[in-house]
Amino acid sequence: MTMNTSMPTGMIPGSSIIHRIHPVTKILWVVVYVILAFTTQNIFILYGMVIFAVVLALLGGVFRPLLKALYLIVPVGSSLIALQVLGPAADKPWTVLAEVGFVTLYGDGFYYALVLLGRIVSSMLLSLVMVMTTHPSDLFLAFSKLKMPYTFNFMLSMTLQLIPVFQREVSLVLSAQKSRGMKGSGFAAVLPSFVPVFVGAIERVQQLSISLESRGFGSSGEKTSYRQVTARTQDWVYGICGATAMIGLMVYSIMQPGLWNLSGMIPFSPRTILTSFTVAVTLFASVILGATFLSFRKS
Amino acid sequence: MARKGKHGFPDQIETDLAVKVEDAHYVYPNGRVVALSGVDLEVRKGELLGVIGQNGSGKTTLTKLLNRLLKPSSGSVYVNGLLTTERTVQEMSAHIGYVFQNPNHQLFARTVKDELEFGPRNIGTPEEDIAQGVAEAVDFFDLGEFIDEHPYRVSFPIRKLVGIASVVTMKPSIIILDEPSTGQDHQTTRIINSLMRRLAEDGTTVICVSHDMPLLADVVERVVVMRDTKIVADASPREVFADEKLMLTTNLQAPQITNIALQTVFPLGGPIALTPKELAADIESRLKKGKR
Amino acid sequence: MPKPIILFDSVFYTYPGTDSPALSDVSLEIMPGEYVGVIGLNGAGKTTLGLSLNGVVPNMLGGHREGTVVVGGLDVEEYPVREMAKIVGIVFDNPEFQMSQMTCAEEVALGLESAGIDYDTMRRSVTEALNLVGLEGFEERSPLGLSGGQQQRLAIAAVLAMKPQVLIMDEPTSNLDPIGKQEVFGMATTLNQKYGMTVIVMEHEVEVLAEFADRVIVMDGGRVVMNGAPREIFSRVDELQALGLRVPEATALAGILRKTGHWKGGVPINTTEAVHSVNALLGVKA
Repeated sequence: MTMNTSMPTGMIPGSSIIHRIHPVTKILWVVVYVILAFTTQNIFILYGMVIFAVVLALLGGVFRPLLKALYLIVPVGSSLIALQVLGPAADKPWTVLAEVGFVTLYGDGFYYALVLLGRIVSSMLLSLVMVMTTHPSDLFLAFSKLKMPYTFNFMLSMTLQLIPVFQREVSLVLSAQKSRGMKGSGFAAVLPSFVPVFVGAIERVQQLSISLESRGFGSSGEKTSYRQVTARTQDWVYGICGATAMIGLMVYSIMQPGLWNLSGMIPFSPRTILTSFTVAVTLFASVILGATFLSFRKS
Repeated sequence: MARKGKHGFPDQIETDLAVKVEDAHYVYPNGRVVALSGVDLEVRKGELLGVIGQNGSGKTTLTKLLNRLLKPSSGSVYVNGLLTTERTVQEMSAHIGYVFQNPNHQLFARTVKDELEFGPRNIGTPEEDIAQGVAEAVDFFDLGEFIDEHPYRVSFPIRKLVGIASVVTMKPSIIILDEPSTGQDHQTTRIINSLMRRLAEDGTTVICVSHDMPLLADVVERVVVMRDTKIVADASPREVFADEKLMLTTNLQAPQITNIALQTVFPLGGPIALTPKELAADIESRLKKGKR
Repeated sequence: MPKPIILFDSVFYTYPGTDSPALSDVSLEIMPGEYVGVIGLNGAGKTTLGLSLNGVVPNMLGGHREGTVVVGGLDVEEYPVREMAKIVGIVFDNPEFQMSQMTCAEEVALGLESAGIDYDTMRRSVTEALNLVGLEGFEERSPLGLSGGQQQRLAIAAVLAMKPQVLIMDEPTSNLDPIGKQEVFGMATTLNQKYGMTVIVMEHEVEVLAEFADRVIVMDGGRVVMNGAPREIFSRVDELQALGLRVPEATALAGILRKTGHWKGGVPINTTEAVHSVNALLGVKA
């Protein structure tokens, strides 16, 4: 999923309960969430997970930034609902709800859209909460404790560091080319301008490796770490609870009869579905129109 | 054409100034960070102007307003009488050239020759004129032996010259040089120094942003000093360097020779020397006239 | 009789894939606690000289080397660069290209982590190093948000954490603004004068070197062509200018006046000396 720069991908500093949880536990929770989200089709569970993630966000003091992330949900969610109601991705036969003019609205699509949306939103929200309450360095420390190779870990952390740097370099190069009259923002026209960025990257890596080597980096043998995180009893408890909850809910989802037949879940009335569909289409259309309008206004 | 844009400034003005900036402000789009607060600047055609100040003083922002890489948040910027706000960077590039500090940010063609032809071609210069312009630049910058080389295969000082040349071939009437001597040794700095002089002699307006006081002292006629998003001084190099309080508050240092002159011949009525030659000449004439 | 901390003995070095030597018959001695300035045109071999001191040349970059380089009693060729990091630290011209970590503390701790230093000692060393360079309290800040001068000081701190005896600074201020230059040169002087570090600075800023260096080495085409006290070297104005190099303006002034027979006395290498001499020349009462 492409995250634009207005979405909070960095850490929000703080010292809440959530901040203080061991990064390995948090990684575990994300894995648990994603596995559970994509193996259950129970709308209760999925939206329960969404609410739980929001609760964690509140506890972590990152609710406001999280809301910003939800901006993307509106167009995605509404388009999902709108399209699915018109042409469900579930198995036939489809339950027909209503026929409005030449379009037929199907109930199965609505449920399917809700499930899909639930999966995406719950996974995304929890990942965001975790990223916002964990220092990237601690995250990398957690990876290394999970036995990720040192070099790989280091490369990962450096890449994260360098993203804003390369954004800047690319923008500099584009400025330089525009200043020499280069027109056209077509990708093909712009591509040759990336040569300088690559050259810059190579130079940088060369210099950096000499600098690191000269500081004694990368010796084989026992390495210590500046960042320390100690696992407290709570962290173990959270971790075990998470894993247990996941297994439990997964089992429940599988064993619950009639689960795979989505329509048997909660009987949404045709009117609810119709209203939701209209709202979704309106939201989606307005977002698209608004974006188009804004992009033409920008000079 | 006094068509006014929505900001109320005429699209074009009659002027013989190369640059006219009036009460320009610039605030970063993402935050409340102010980069320029109320800058006024007039530059006459053919002037050789130096802009000095610490990083963060606003000097780079100012030059980017001139070539339209940035748009003023308020105020007006006229280059060759044209309001920048109503035009694109590409349109302005026919009038004002910008040489970036790091030539690596500019160079990407397969040969130096292609590099030199890129700019003029973009602005629609006829082919024969391009060829002539390139030949002139090759001559001016002494790039004959490098013309078929890949830009990244030549040494960094040559690349720097190629960077400048590739802007000169566009024949802009105004050229901005961003830190042309940073990281260069003395030999290359002298070449750049004489380059700026020759460009100005040819009638090009040259604006040089630099930390290199001796470089500027030797070649510019006018210095604009920036501090904390404002212009705090706009005078000849001699006046600027002689202003002790200004140098202190901007954390800048006058060239060593100027400081020597200020403590020796200047109190005796001598010049605020900008070069050792100048000071030596004055001392000699005093000695010849007899002491005191 | 104190032993030199750095010894070059007839060193020749050619980078891999090139024909002409980057270092040609270089022999020199540097004593502990000296502040040495190295000047020369780009390509004269200053950087290669610096990289030869910690073994990057030839151990990391390959190429062909003759002669020996001994630093802190160790033959550089025999030890891996990482080992030499405990004796020699090197700081380069682009501060940003030396940054790789998320926080300043981690940047400083990098070498210590690899050396397996225990946690408590590491934390102490990091704080000490940051305090030494004037970056107290910067532990958790991101290196990329710092000014050029601060980044360069961070690079110095990262090197100092290994507690080396020799610090090499290869054109450390070329990418810095005047404030940044002052900060870094001030740091070099403090480390040398207050902490007795051997400091080697490759630079174009001859005025600063004239003021603070104990010795100046001039390189040209891979050779050491001059080696002596600043006053001795910079007074050879014509020779240096023929090599395309600058001398401090104070010295250049004296050089011009000496040619026309108007100069009296020794050669000034800073403002104070020049002012004194000129005023004496003009008969101005102090």
